[in-house]
Amino acid sequence: MISKLLTPKNLRNLIIILVVVGVLFLSLSGYLTPLFSFSISPFISAQSWLAQRYLAFSDFFNSPRDMATLRAENAALNERVAMLQSEIVALQENLAQSDILYTLLDFARSNPEHEYLAATVIGREISPYLQYIIIDKGSNDGLRHGMPVVTQQGLVGRIDALISDAARIQLITDANSVVNVKLQSAQVEGLLRGSVTGEISLDMVPVGTKVEIGDVLMTSGLGGTYPPNIFVGQILTMQSKENVLFQTGSVQPVVDFSSLSAVLVITNFDTVDISPLIP
Amino acid sequence: MISYLIGFMGYMAMLMLQLSVFSQWKILAGSADLLLLFVIAWCLHDRSKYLWLLVLVFAGITTFISALPFYVPLAVYFGVYLLSRQIHARIWQTPLLGMLVVTFIASLGQSAFTLAAIFVQRVDINLADALNRITLPSLLLNMLLAIPVHALVRELAYYAFPKGVEA
Repeated sequence: MISKLLTPKNLRNLIIILVVVGVLFLSLSGYLTPLFSFSISPFISAQSWLAQRYLAFSDFFNSPRDMATLRAENAALNERVAMLQSEIVALQENLAQSDILYTLLDFARSNPEHEYLAATVIGREISPYLQYIIIDKGSNDGLRHGMPVVTQQGLVGRIDALISDAARIQLITDANSVVNVKLQSAQVEGLLRGSVTGEISLDMVPVGTKVEIGDVLMTSGLGGTYPPNIFVGQILTMQSKENVLFQTGSVQPVVDFSSLSAVLVITNFDTVDISPLIP
Repeated sequence: MISYLIGFMGYMAMLMLQLSVFSQWKILAGSADLLLLFVIAWCLHDRSKYLWLLVLVFAGITTFISALPFYVPLAVYFGVYLLSRQIHARIWQTPLLGMLVVTFIASLGQSAFTLAAIFVQRVDINLADALNRITLPSLLLNMLLAIPVHALVRELAYYAFPKGVEA
Protein backbone atom coordinates (compact mmCIF):
# COMPACT_ATOMS: atom_id res chain seq x y z
CA MET A 1 0.00 0.00 0.00
CA ILE A 2 2.72 2.47 1.07
CA SER A 3 4.95 1.34 -1.77
CA LYS A 4 2.11 2.14 -4.12
CA LEU A 5 1.79 5.66 -2.72
CA LEU A 6 5.53 6.37 -2.71
CA THR A 7 5.90 6.58 -6.37
CA PRO A 8 8.76 8.80 -7.58
CA LYS A 9 6.29 11.46 -8.65
CA ASN A 10 4.49 11.66 -5.33
CA LEU A 11 7.79 11.57 -3.46
CA ARG A 12 9.03 14.55 -5.45
CA ASN A 13 5.84 16.52 -4.73
CA LEU A 14 6.06 15.66 -1.07
CA ILE A 15 9.63 16.90 -0.89
CA ILE A 16 8.74 20.10 -2.66
CA ILE A 17 5.85 20.74 -0.24
CA LEU A 18 8.06 20.03 2.73
CA VAL A 19 10.76 22.39 1.42
CA VAL A 20 8.24 25.18 0.75
CA VAL A 21 6.63 24.74 4.17
CA GLY A 22 10.07 24.71 5.74
CA VAL A 23 11.17 27.85 3.95
CA LEU A 24 7.90 29.59 4.93
CA PHE A 25 8.38 28.49 8.51
CA LEU A 26 11.95 29.74 8.59
CA SER A 27 10.94 33.00 6.89
CA LEU A 28 8.05 33.69 9.23
CA SER A 29 10.17 32.87 12.21
CA GLY A 30 12.85 35.38 11.06
CA TYR A 31 15.70 33.00 10.46
CA LEU A 32 15.97 33.93 6.79
CA THR A 33 16.05 37.72 7.25
CA PRO A 34 19.86 38.16 7.12
CA LEU A 35 19.93 36.05 4.02
CA PHE A 36 17.21 38.17 2.34
CA SER A 37 18.91 41.37 3.37
CA PHE A 38 22.20 40.26 2.05
CA SER A 39 20.70 39.16 -1.23
CA ILE A 40 18.33 42.16 -1.76
CA SER A 41 20.57 45.06 -0.68
CA PRO A 42 22.54 45.21 -3.92
CA PHE A 43 19.31 45.51 -5.86
CA ILE A 44 18.02 48.25 -3.55
CA SER A 45 21.28 50.16 -3.85
CA ALA A 46 21.19 49.86 -7.59
CA GLN A 47 17.55 50.92 -7.67
CA SER A 48 18.25 53.96 -5.48
CA TRP A 49 21.20 55.01 -7.60
CA LEU A 50 19.12 54.68 -10.75
CA ALA A 51 16.13 56.54 -9.27
CA GLN A 52 18.32 59.40 -8.07
CA ARG A 53 20.00 59.75 -11.41
CA TYR A 54 16.63 59.67 -13.13
CA LEU A 55 15.19 62.35 -10.82
CA ALA A 56 18.25 64.54 -11.38
CA PHE A 57 17.94 64.02 -15.08
CA SER A 58 14.21 64.78 -14.99
CA ASP A 59 14.71 67.91 -12.88
CA PHE A 60 17.40 69.14 -15.20
CA PHE A 61 15.03 69.10 -18.15
CA ASN A 62 11.69 69.84 -16.48
CA SER A 63 12.47 72.39 -13.76
CA PRO A 64 13.02 75.44 -15.98
CA ARG A 65 9.71 74.82 -17.67
CA ASP A 66 7.96 74.41 -14.32
CA MET A 67 9.51 77.63 -13.00
CA ALA A 68 8.33 79.53 -16.01
CA THR A 69 4.87 78.07 -15.58
CA LEU A 70 4.86 78.91 -11.89
CA ARG A 71 6.03 82.42 -12.56
CA ALA A 72 3.30 82.90 -15.13
CA GLU A 73 0.70 81.50 -12.75
CA ASN A 74 2.06 83.71 -9.97
CA ALA A 75 1.85 86.78 -12.17
CA ALA A 76 -1.70 85.86 -13.22
CA LEU A 77 -2.72 85.34 -9.61
CA ASN A 78 -1.11 88.62 -8.55
CA GLU A 79 -2.98 90.35 -11.32
CA ARG A 80 -6.18 88.71 -10.18
CA VAL A 81 -5.55 89.78 -6.58
CA ALA A 82 -4.89 93.36 -7.69
CA MET A 83 -8.07 93.34 -9.76
CA LEU A 84 -10.10 91.98 -6.85
CA GLN A 85 -8.60 94.56 -4.51
CA SER A 86 -9.51 97.35 -6.90
CA GLU A 87 -13.00 95.89 -7.15
CA ILE A 88 -13.22 95.89 -3.36
CA VAL A 89 -12.17 99.55 -3.24
CA ALA A 90 -14.71 100.43 -5.95
CA LEU A 91 -17.44 98.53 -4.12
CA GLN A 92 -16.56 100.21 -0.85
CA GLU A 93 -16.78 103.59 -2.57
CA ASN A 94 -20.13 102.61 -4.07
CA LEU A 95 -21.27 101.49 -0.65
CA ALA A 96 -20.25 104.80 0.91
CA GLN A 97 -22.01 106.67 -1.90
CA SER A 98 -25.09 104.50 -1.45
CA ASP A 99 -25.10 105.20 2.28
CA ILE A 100 -25.05 108.93 1.57
CA LEU A 101 -27.83 108.61 -0.99
CA TYR A 102 -29.92 106.44 1.34
CA THR A 103 -29.51 109.04 4.07
CA LEU A 104 -30.53 111.78 1.66
CA LEU A 105 -33.49 109.66 0.61
CA ASP A 106 -34.52 109.23 4.24
CA PHE A 107 -34.29 112.99 4.70
CA ALA A 108 -36.41 113.57 1.60
CA ARG A 109 -39.01 111.10 2.83
CA SER A 110 -39.12 112.67 6.27
CA ASN A 111 -39.59 116.14 4.73
CA PRO A 112 -42.24 115.48 2.10
CA GLU A 113 -43.28 119.12 1.81
CA HIS A 114 -40.42 119.73 -0.61
CA GLU A 115 -39.36 118.16 -3.87
CA TYR A 116 -35.71 117.25 -4.04
CA LEU A 117 -33.14 116.53 -6.69
CA ALA A 118 -29.99 114.72 -5.61
CA ALA A 119 -26.69 115.93 -7.04
CA THR A 120 -23.05 114.99 -6.65
CA VAL A 121 -20.39 117.51 -5.73
CA ILE A 122 -17.83 117.56 -8.56
CA GLY A 123 -15.69 120.56 -7.68
CA ARG A 124 -14.83 123.33 -5.31
CA GLU A 125 -14.12 127.01 -5.75
CA ILE A 126 -10.66 127.94 -7.02
CA SER A 127 -10.17 130.90 -4.70
CA PRO A 128 -9.72 130.07 -1.00
CA TYR A 129 -11.43 133.37 -0.12
CA LEU A 130 -14.75 132.22 -1.55
CA GLN A 131 -16.89 129.28 -0.45
CA TYR A 132 -18.60 127.65 -3.39
CA ILE A 133 -19.07 124.11 -4.69
CA ILE A 134 -19.97 122.79 -8.13
CA ILE A 135 -22.58 120.05 -8.62
CA ASP A 136 -23.31 117.80 -11.57
CA LYS A 137 -26.90 118.96 -12.21
CA GLY A 138 -27.91 122.06 -14.14
CA SER A 139 -30.69 123.75 -16.01
CA ASN A 140 -31.33 120.60 -18.08
CA ASP A 141 -32.37 118.91 -14.84
CA GLY A 142 -34.82 121.67 -13.96
CA LEU A 143 -32.58 123.66 -11.64
CA ARG A 144 -32.95 127.42 -11.45
CA HIS A 145 -30.99 130.28 -9.95
CA GLY A 146 -31.53 130.73 -6.22
CA MET A 147 -32.85 127.26 -5.43
CA PRO A 148 -31.93 126.20 -1.86
CA VAL A 149 -29.53 123.32 -1.35
CA VAL A 150 -29.56 121.05 1.71
CA THR A 151 -28.21 117.76 3.00
CA GLN A 152 -29.70 115.36 5.50
CA GLN A 153 -27.90 117.41 8.18
CA GLY A 154 -29.08 120.86 7.27
CA LEU A 155 -28.73 123.92 5.08
CA VAL A 156 -25.87 124.05 2.56
CA GLY A 157 -26.54 127.15 0.47
CA ARG A 158 -28.24 128.15 -2.76
CA ILE A 159 -27.63 128.01 -6.47
CA ASP A 160 -25.58 130.99 -7.55
CA ALA A 161 -24.96 130.22 -11.23
CA LEU A 162 -25.73 127.36 -13.54
CA ILE A 163 -25.20 125.98 -17.01
CA SER A 164 -26.96 123.11 -18.75
CA ASP A 165 -25.27 120.28 -16.84
CA ALA A 166 -23.66 121.87 -13.80
CA ALA A 167 -24.38 124.46 -11.16
CA ARG A 168 -22.36 126.55 -8.73
CA ILE A 169 -23.63 126.63 -5.15
CA GLN A 170 -22.88 129.50 -2.80
CA LEU A 171 -22.36 127.98 0.64
CA ILE A 172 -23.74 129.67 3.72
CA THR A 173 -20.12 130.05 4.87
CA ASP A 174 -19.29 132.38 1.97
CA ALA A 175 -18.50 135.99 2.85
CA ASN A 176 -21.38 137.24 0.70
CA SER A 177 -23.94 134.87 2.20
CA VAL A 178 -26.61 136.12 4.58
CA VAL A 179 -29.26 133.77 5.99
CA ASN A 180 -32.25 134.81 8.06
CA VAL A 181 -32.36 132.46 11.04
CA LYS A 182 -34.27 132.02 14.25
CA LEU A 183 -33.17 130.65 17.58
CA GLN A 184 -35.26 127.58 18.26
CA SER A 185 -35.24 128.05 22.04
CA ALA A 186 -35.90 131.78 22.24
CA GLN A 187 -37.89 132.19 19.04
CA VAL A 188 -35.78 135.22 18.22
CA GLU A 189 -34.59 136.02 14.76
CA GLY A 190 -31.14 137.02 13.60
CA LEU A 191 -28.80 137.08 10.66
CA LEU A 192 -26.23 134.44 9.87
CA ARG A 193 -23.21 135.75 7.99
CA GLY A 194 -20.34 133.92 6.37
CA SER A 195 -16.76 135.07 6.20
CA VAL A 196 -13.71 134.80 3.96
CA THR A 197 -12.26 132.14 6.24
CA GLY A 198 -15.39 129.99 6.01
CA GLU A 199 -16.65 130.58 9.53
CA ILE A 200 -20.21 131.70 10.21
CA SER A 201 -21.45 134.11 12.82
CA LEU A 202 -24.78 135.18 14.21
CA ASP A 203 -25.68 138.84 14.18
CA MET A 204 -28.62 141.14 14.86
CA VAL A 205 -29.81 139.30 17.97
CA PRO A 206 -31.37 141.91 20.30
CA VAL A 207 -29.53 142.63 23.53
CA GLY A 208 -31.39 141.08 26.42
CA THR A 209 -32.29 137.94 24.56
CA LYS A 210 -31.12 134.95 26.56
CA VAL A 211 -29.04 132.81 24.29
CA GLU A 212 -27.47 129.59 25.54
CA ILE A 213 -24.41 127.85 24.16
CA GLY A 214 -25.62 124.96 22.00
CA ASP A 215 -28.92 126.60 21.04
CA VAL A 216 -30.11 125.41 17.66
CA LEU A 217 -30.49 127.79 14.72
CA MET A 218 -32.99 127.21 11.95
CA THR A 219 -33.92 129.17 8.87
CA SER A 220 -36.74 131.61 9.53
CA GLY A 221 -37.97 131.94 5.96
CA LEU A 222 -37.75 135.71 6.06
CA GLY A 223 -36.45 137.32 2.91
CA GLY A 224 -37.80 134.54 0.74
CA THR A 225 -34.35 133.10 0.04
CA TYR A 226 -34.65 129.88 2.01
CA PRO A 227 -37.63 127.84 3.19
CA PRO A 228 -38.27 127.96 6.95
CA ASN A 229 -37.30 125.38 9.57
CA ILE A 230 -34.13 123.98 8.05
CA PHE A 231 -31.34 123.27 10.52
CA VAL A 232 -28.36 125.56 10.15
CA GLY A 233 -26.13 125.24 13.19
CA GLN A 234 -25.58 125.62 16.89
CA ILE A 235 -24.38 128.55 18.96
CA LEU A 236 -20.72 128.24 19.99
CA THR A 237 -20.12 131.55 21.72
CA MET A 238 -22.02 134.79 22.25
CA GLN A 239 -20.71 138.29 22.79
CA SER A 240 -22.64 141.23 24.12
CA LYS A 241 -20.84 144.55 24.31
CA GLU A 242 -21.96 147.60 26.15
CA ASN A 243 -23.81 150.36 24.34
CA VAL A 244 -24.68 148.18 21.36
CA LEU A 245 -28.13 147.15 20.22
CA PHE A 246 -27.36 143.63 19.13
CA GLN A 247 -25.48 140.58 20.28
CA THR A 248 -23.15 138.63 18.05
CA GLY A 249 -21.90 135.10 18.28
CA SER A 250 -20.06 132.35 16.47
CA VAL A 251 -21.95 129.39 15.09
CA GLN A 252 -20.97 125.79 14.43
CA PRO A 253 -22.66 124.69 11.20
CA VAL A 254 -24.40 121.32 11.27
CA VAL A 255 -23.11 120.49 7.81
CA ASP A 256 -19.49 119.42 7.43
CA PHE A 257 -18.65 121.47 4.36
CA SER A 258 -15.18 119.98 3.98
CA SER A 259 -16.55 116.51 3.23
CA LEU A 260 -19.61 117.32 1.15
CA SER A 261 -20.05 114.70 -1.56
CA ALA A 262 -23.77 114.76 -2.34
CA VAL A 263 -26.51 117.32 -1.80
CA LEU A 264 -30.24 117.79 -2.35
CA VAL A 265 -31.62 120.73 -4.29
CA ILE A 266 -35.10 121.84 -3.27
CA THR A 267 -36.77 122.27 -6.62
CA ASN A 268 -40.25 123.42 -5.63
CA PHE A 269 -39.27 126.48 -3.62
CA ASP A 270 -39.77 129.79 -5.38
CA THR A 271 -37.29 132.34 -4.17
CA VAL A 272 -38.37 135.94 -3.83
CA ASP A 273 -36.03 138.57 -5.20
CA ILE A 274 -36.29 141.52 -2.84
CA SER A 275 -33.19 143.30 -4.12
CA PRO A 276 -35.27 145.99 -5.94
CA LEU A 277 -36.80 146.88 -2.56
CA ILE A 278 -33.43 147.35 -0.88
CA PRO A 279 -32.34 151.01 -1.06
CA MET B 1 -0.58 126.95 -33.35
CA ILE B 2 0.29 123.67 -31.67
CA SER B 3 1.79 125.60 -28.75
CA TYR B 4 -1.55 127.32 -28.10
CA LEU B 5 -3.34 123.99 -28.21
CA ILE B 6 -0.88 122.41 -25.78
CA GLY B 7 -1.13 125.43 -23.51
CA PHE B 8 -4.92 125.27 -23.58
CA MET B 9 -5.02 121.53 -22.90
CA GLY B 10 -2.51 121.91 -20.10
CA TYR B 11 -4.59 124.65 -18.54
CA MET B 12 -7.76 122.54 -18.74
CA ALA B 13 -5.97 119.61 -17.10
CA MET B 14 -4.80 121.94 -14.31
CA LEU B 15 -8.33 123.29 -13.97
CA MET B 16 -9.75 119.83 -13.38
CA LEU B 17 -7.01 119.03 -10.87
CA GLN B 18 -7.61 122.31 -9.08
CA LEU B 19 -11.39 121.88 -8.84
CA SER B 20 -11.33 118.28 -7.72
CA VAL B 21 -8.12 117.92 -5.70
CA PHE B 22 -6.09 121.00 -4.87
CA SER B 23 -9.02 123.13 -3.69
CA GLN B 24 -9.50 120.58 -0.92
CA TRP B 25 -5.87 120.44 0.16
CA LYS B 26 -5.80 123.15 2.75
CA ILE B 27 -3.44 124.58 5.29
CA LEU B 28 -5.69 126.38 7.75
CA ALA B 29 -8.09 128.00 5.24
CA GLY B 30 -5.58 128.55 2.45
CA SER B 31 -5.16 126.42 -0.64
CA ALA B 32 -2.84 126.35 -3.62
CA ASP B 33 -3.79 127.96 -6.93
CA LEU B 34 -2.57 125.56 -9.59
CA LEU B 35 -4.05 127.66 -12.38
CA LEU B 36 -2.07 130.73 -11.40
CA LEU B 37 1.09 128.62 -11.20
CA PHE B 38 0.44 127.20 -14.64
CA VAL B 39 -0.13 130.66 -16.12
CA ILE B 40 3.12 131.90 -14.53
CA ALA B 41 5.13 128.92 -15.76
CA TRP B 42 3.63 129.12 -19.24
CA CYS B 43 4.30 132.85 -19.52
CA LEU B 44 7.91 132.24 -18.49
CA HIS B 45 8.33 129.61 -21.20
CA ASP B 46 6.23 130.96 -24.04
CA ARG B 47 7.85 133.77 -26.06
CA SER B 48 5.25 133.82 -28.83
CA LYS B 49 3.83 137.08 -30.10
CA TYR B 50 0.22 136.31 -29.26
CA LEU B 51 0.74 134.94 -25.77
CA TRP B 52 -1.53 137.68 -24.45
CA LEU B 53 -4.39 136.08 -26.37
CA LEU B 54 -3.82 132.79 -24.59
CA VAL B 55 -3.64 134.64 -21.27
CA LEU B 56 -6.96 136.25 -22.13
CA VAL B 57 -8.47 132.81 -22.77
CA PHE B 58 -7.08 131.53 -19.47
CA ALA B 59 -8.61 134.48 -17.62
CA GLY B 60 -11.92 133.93 -19.41
CA ILE B 61 -12.06 130.28 -18.39
CA THR B 62 -11.23 131.10 -14.76
CA THR B 63 -13.89 133.82 -14.72
CA PHE B 64 -16.43 131.37 -16.12
CA ILE B 65 -15.71 128.68 -13.53
CA SER B 66 -14.94 130.75 -10.46
CA ALA B 67 -17.18 133.06 -8.49
CA LEU B 68 -14.47 135.71 -8.54
CA PRO B 69 -15.39 138.97 -10.29
CA PHE B 70 -14.18 138.92 -13.90
CA TYR B 71 -11.65 141.67 -13.38
CA VAL B 72 -9.66 139.79 -10.73
CA PRO B 73 -8.36 136.93 -12.92
CA LEU B 74 -8.04 139.31 -15.84
CA ALA B 75 -5.91 141.80 -13.91
CA VAL B 76 -3.84 139.11 -12.16
CA TYR B 77 -3.13 137.05 -15.27
CA PHE B 78 -2.16 140.08 -17.33
CA GLY B 79 -0.05 141.26 -14.44
CA VAL B 80 1.66 137.88 -14.50
CA TYR B 81 2.12 138.18 -18.26
CA LEU B 82 3.82 141.56 -17.99
CA LEU B 83 5.85 140.62 -14.93
CA SER B 84 7.07 137.38 -16.49
CA ARG B 85 8.34 139.33 -19.51
CA GLN B 86 10.26 141.66 -17.24
CA ILE B 87 11.58 138.87 -15.04
CA HIS B 88 12.61 136.83 -18.06
CA ALA B 89 14.56 139.76 -19.43
CA ARG B 90 16.41 140.27 -16.14
CA ILE B 91 17.01 136.86 -14.61
CA TRP B 92 16.78 134.58 -17.60
CA GLN B 93 19.78 132.53 -16.42
CA THR B 94 17.84 131.10 -13.48
CA PRO B 95 14.32 130.27 -14.65
CA LEU B 96 13.36 128.58 -11.40
CA LEU B 97 14.25 131.71 -9.47
CA GLY B 98 12.12 133.68 -11.90
CA MET B 99 9.24 131.28 -11.30
CA LEU B 100 9.53 131.66 -7.54
CA VAL B 101 9.75 135.45 -7.73
CA VAL B 102 6.70 135.75 -9.99
CA THR B 103 4.80 133.22 -7.88
CA PHE B 104 5.50 135.22 -4.73
CA ILE B 105 4.44 138.52 -6.24
CA ALA B 106 1.44 137.11 -8.14
CA SER B 107 0.09 135.19 -5.13
CA LEU B 108 0.18 138.29 -2.96
CA GLY B 109 -1.24 140.38 -5.78
CA GLN B 110 -4.08 137.96 -6.36
CA SER B 111 -4.91 137.91 -2.65
CA ALA B 112 -4.93 141.71 -2.54
CA PHE B 113 -7.16 141.91 -5.63
CA THR B 114 -9.58 139.29 -4.27
CA LEU B 115 -9.85 140.94 -0.88
CA ALA B 116 -10.39 144.30 -2.54
CA ALA B 117 -13.12 142.80 -4.73
CA ILE B 118 -14.85 141.30 -1.70
CA PHE B 119 -14.49 144.56 0.20
CA VAL B 120 -16.10 146.44 -2.70
CA GLN B 121 -19.14 144.20 -2.27
CA ARG B 122 -19.64 145.67 1.22
CA VAL B 123 -18.46 142.61 3.07
CA ASP B 124 -16.70 143.10 6.39
CA ILE B 125 -13.29 141.49 6.28
CA ASN B 126 -11.05 140.71 9.20
CA LEU B 127 -7.80 141.46 7.41
CA ALA B 128 -5.51 139.97 10.05
CA ASP B 129 -7.54 136.77 10.04
CA ALA B 130 -7.54 136.64 6.25
CA LEU B 131 -3.80 137.22 6.13
CA ASN B 132 -2.95 134.62 8.77
CA ARG B 133 -5.41 131.93 7.78
CA ILE B 134 -5.63 132.27 3.99
CA THR B 135 -3.02 134.51 2.38
CA LEU B 136 0.13 133.17 4.04
CA PRO B 137 -0.82 129.46 3.90
CA SER B 138 -1.84 129.87 0.24
CA LEU B 139 1.45 131.62 -0.47
CA LEU B 140 3.36 128.77 1.16
CA LEU B 141 1.50 126.14 -0.85
CA ASN B 142 1.99 128.10 -4.07
CA MET B 143 5.72 128.41 -3.44
CA LEU B 144 5.97 124.69 -2.73
CA LEU B 145 4.04 123.72 -5.83
CA ALA B 146 5.82 126.25 -8.05
CA ILE B 147 8.80 123.91 -8.52
CA PRO B 148 6.90 120.82 -9.76
CA VAL B 149 4.59 122.95 -11.91
CA HIS B 150 7.60 124.67 -13.44
CA ALA B 151 9.18 121.28 -14.21
CA LEU B 152 5.93 120.01 -15.72
CA VAL B 153 5.45 123.06 -17.92
CA ARG B 154 9.07 122.85 -18.99
CA GLU B 155 8.42 119.31 -20.24
CA LEU B 156 5.26 120.49 -22.00
CA ALA B 157 7.18 123.35 -23.54
CA TYR B 158 9.57 120.91 -25.23
CA TYR B 159 6.60 119.63 -27.23
CA ALA B 160 5.06 123.06 -27.70
CA PHE B 161 8.26 124.80 -28.81
CA PRO B 162 10.45 122.16 -30.38
CA LYS B 163 13.05 124.70 -31.52
CA GLY B 164 14.15 125.33 -27.96
CA VAL B 165 12.97 126.32 -24.57
CA GLU B 166 14.38 129.54 -23.31
CA ALA B 167 13.41 129.43 -19.67
